[in-house]
Amino acid sequence: MSDNQFYDSLEEEKEPGRTFLDSNELVLNMGPQHPSTHGVLRVILKLDGEKVNGLECVIGYLHRGIEKIAENRTWAQFGPFVDRLDYTAAVSNSMGYCLAVEKLLGVEVPKRAQYLRVILTELCRIASHQVWLGTHVLDIGAVTPLFYAFRDREDILNVFEKYCGARLTTHAFRIGGCRWDAYAGFAEEVLHICDDLGPKIDEYRDLITGNRIWLQRTKNVGYISAEDCVAYSITGPVLRASGVKWDLRKRQPYSSYEDFDFDIPIGTAGDTFDRYMVRVEEMRQSIRIVRQAMEGLMEGPIIAKVPKVIKPPVGEVYVSIEAPKGELGYFLVSDGTAQPYRVRVRPPSFINLQALEKMAKGSLVADVVAIIGTLDIVLGEVDR
Amino acid sequence: MKITEMLRKFFLIDLLEGMWVTFRHQNPADLVTEQYPMQRPEISDRFRGQPRLLNDENGKPLCIACGACALACPEKLIKVESLRDPETKKKVLTGFDYDLSRCMFCGLCEEACNSDALTLSPGYELALYTREGMQLDKTQLEQGVQGKVFEK
Amino acid sequence: MITSILQYLHSNVTPGEDGSLFWVTVYVLLVFAGISVGVIFMNWFERKVMAHMQVRIGPMRVGPHGLLQPLADALKLIIKEDLMPTNADKIVFWFAPVCVVMTAFCGFIVVPFGRTHAITDMNIGILFMLGVSSVGVLGVIMAGWASNSHYPLMGSLRSGAQMVSYEIAMSMTVVSAVMMTSMATGTGTLSMIGIVQAQLQQRTWFAFSFFPVGLTALGVFAIAMVAETNRAPFDLPEAESELVAGFLTEYSGFRWSLFFLAEYASMMSVSAIATTLWLGGWLRPFPNLLGGKTWDIAFSLVPGITFLLLSALCLFYFTRMPKIRAMRKEALGLAGFGCVLGAIGLVMLLPGVRVRVQDIYWFCIKAGFFMYLYIWYRTTFPRYRFDQLMTIGWKVLLPISIGVVILTAMIGVRHELLALVWR
Repeated sequence: MSDNQFYDSLEEEKEPGRTFLDSNELVLNMGPQHPSTHGVLRVILKLDGEKVNGLECVIGYLHRGIEKIAENRTWAQFGPFVDRLDYTAAVSNSMGYCLAVEKLLGVEVPKRAQYLRVILTELCRIASHQVWLGTHVLDIGAVTPLFYAFRDREDILNVFEKYCGARLTTHAFRIGGCRWDAYAGFAEEVLHICDDLGPKIDEYRDLITGNRIWLQRTKNVGYISAEDCVAYSITGPVLRASGVKWDLRKRQPYSSYEDFDFDIPIGTAGDTFDRYMVRVEEMRQSIRIVRQAMEGLMEGPIIAKVPKVIKPPVGEVYVSIEAPKGELGYFLVSDGTAQPYRVRVRPPSFINLQALEKMAKGSLVADVVAIIGTLDIVLGEVDR
Repeated sequence: MKITEMLRKFFLIDLLEGMWVTFRHQNPADLVTEQYPMQRPEISDRFRGQPRLLNDENGKPLCIACGACALACPEKLIKVESLRDPETKKKVLTGFDYDLSRCMFCGLCEEACNSDALTLSPGYELALYTREGMQLDKTQLEQGVQGKVFEK
Repeated sequence: MITSILQYLHSNVTPGEDGSLFWVTVYVLLVFAGISVGVIFMNWFERKVMAHMQVRIGPMRVGPHGLLQPLADALKLIIKEDLMPTNADKIVFWFAPVCVVMTAFCGFIVVPFGRTHAITDMNIGILFMLGVSSVGVLGVIMAGWASNSHYPLMGSLRSGAQMVSYEIAMSMTVVSAVMMTSMATGTGTLSMIGIVQAQLQQRTWFAFSFFPVGLTALGVFAIAMVAETNRAPFDLPEAESELVAGFLTEYSGFRWSLFFLAEYASMMSVSAIATTLWLGGWLRPFPNLLGGKTWDIAFSLVPGITFLLLSALCLFYFTRMPKIRAMRKEALGLAGFGCVLGAIGLVMLLPGVRVRVQDIYWFCIKAGFFMYLYIWYRTTFPRYRFDQLMTIGWKVLLPISIGVVILTAMIGVRHELLALVWR
């Protein structure tokens, strides 16, 4: 059956004698393989000319059964798998999981380890936001900031490599603290990154933020109100750009975040441009946190006393952190054995993806790509 | 302020600023491409790459065949075979199978090793033409998998 | 035979005006070869310049610094399988790329690289070029139609609509430039050579005449020509990350490369129009202010010296290349390229050659500046959405260009009145 015959058959169902030339609605499939769906996301659009009437996401193309795998591994062995969820920000995922298991075990992480964790997690936040920046701007058409962002990200990945031995799937933290201490030259390199990054973020501002084409493409595109955000349980920069002051690092501080002085950027308009500004500003605030943590890094042990075979008491715990994409939560159920009974990950990208239909309805086709980019989804998290 | 805003908008100043940023980056000192394979990247010591079994200064293998690495691996891809030496009553390693194709280079095995024998070395050039080459045995782990060195 | 060639080289009219079929054919072949080499060079140059602006190096492996990369790409495209959709309109599908390529190349018949270095000088030169580029739009629409699939059709209609809208603004500014040719003598001219000669006579490039009218006209044309050729930031119809794929979807292999060729050729064609109309065509800088024989000789040495400098740069980089065996071919290639450039530079310093060649050099430098601008725009700017694109074309550029025409006319009338008053 040719394309035209297929569409005729769809119209025939509505009313006999209609052909696709009579219909006003075009069903367009933005398939799993697409340069700008940030992974294998399939979006089915119902278009009326250029306007989007409805949108449906089909996910699951990257489902690897990570939560099921957890039931057959020990608590410590599951650590490397957690990196594979949001692969652009592996250190964050590790932090969340380790915090959750530590809460279940009831161990207290030493202060030095907490500060090290904060430094690496904030560097990871910058790295994740740089991936977002590069790919989002690329979808809108500017090809250069991608390369600048990835060039700046190289410094951070080099620090990760020197610290834990891998750039992407870092497996940086262990249950109870950190496995490695800072290597020789860690302080210089991290402070060097902090100094370099400020002017580079200004460069992004010159290249993108003031650009009239960028403003026209992103202002008033993909609007979502604060009430809708809260109703959909959306978290992260999307929520903050709509005007809700909610950041878990301030509301429910974990891992010594209360020791640091930083601001939370809040947007007002809830459109793509505000989400962009919130994330760029978050990068600057992360640099502040890293500087304070490096200054305050004290001597001490880097890992708490944790038994070799981890057998948490029977119980369940939910711990969430402010990952770069939003609220990343781990719900762990332990039955007293060395293997978890259930690990449930609350992926921020999966929950934020619900907003796609709300944001894209009524906008033009060319904006759908911008809206998918602005939600900052990573399919590894959405599908797990 | 309105006049400057209007002038900025009319003379396309924001576009020109962006163009200046891209123009500036053409400086040859800024180019960051590494021409692999002519230039090799610098790898840190802690890099989790190719697994190796280390020997001590006298050339004797450090591995005491305790099997901790096999227990620690999330993917259960290590198989340790050993014999008990009748004189010294210690275990001697006879076979060590490592399945590189399933390894995720997490480093749990090198953490678990009690005698610092198993380590993930900074070797990253592990590409092969066949799957069979990824099942590493004891000798390959001790000597390291050598890539074919091509001379032009 | 040699004497007849040498004798011809002393003529001072284009072969078309002269009427000699032989020389017209020679010039046609030369221009065709030149444009083809230009397109291939643009392909390499774009990749290299874009790469450098993105802090990376472009192609480096195929030939020294990737100089043979376009040839490798062309070879790959030629040997690809030639697909045609089953229900496509075969004749139109075949003809669409041919149409676009033909119109893109046809425009170069009247482009003057020098007083005598044009194939011919029609007395409606600029009108011919604009008309021919409009026929190119037809080729784009044919491409979308013949693909028998509604996504390319939508893409080609969008692309065609965009090209047509911006042609209006372009043509208005061209009208203003043509009006400026009549300021001194009272009679204007549409011929390309005539326009450059009018600039010579009025002692100023039209871009700087009656400031800021000329500059605004050039600015509007510079923006409209980017949209006309479907390049960034107006390249929504052919962008990869958009949903409705452009009119090029069903074309693969050699047919696609023909579209690509045509895009670069039309880029060069509109750059040639911009150079001729506003930047003084083949005129060297300050032909009147710094006139006289010594200045003429000094400026005519510039092309040769540029080539010598480029070759010196190549040889300098050759000495700095790593002396390892793996890079030997690349190093020798670079040295060879440097020597070739040096030879060309030395040839260009010969008195007989440099007088004829310097016009072509200045023209190419100015047109090359616009080509560099194209690449610069593509690297820097995001894309406009289609409705924003059309808004700019109709609501911003068109009123400005009509305003420019009215202002030029007013200035022209004032000129006439002043001339009357003074007499």
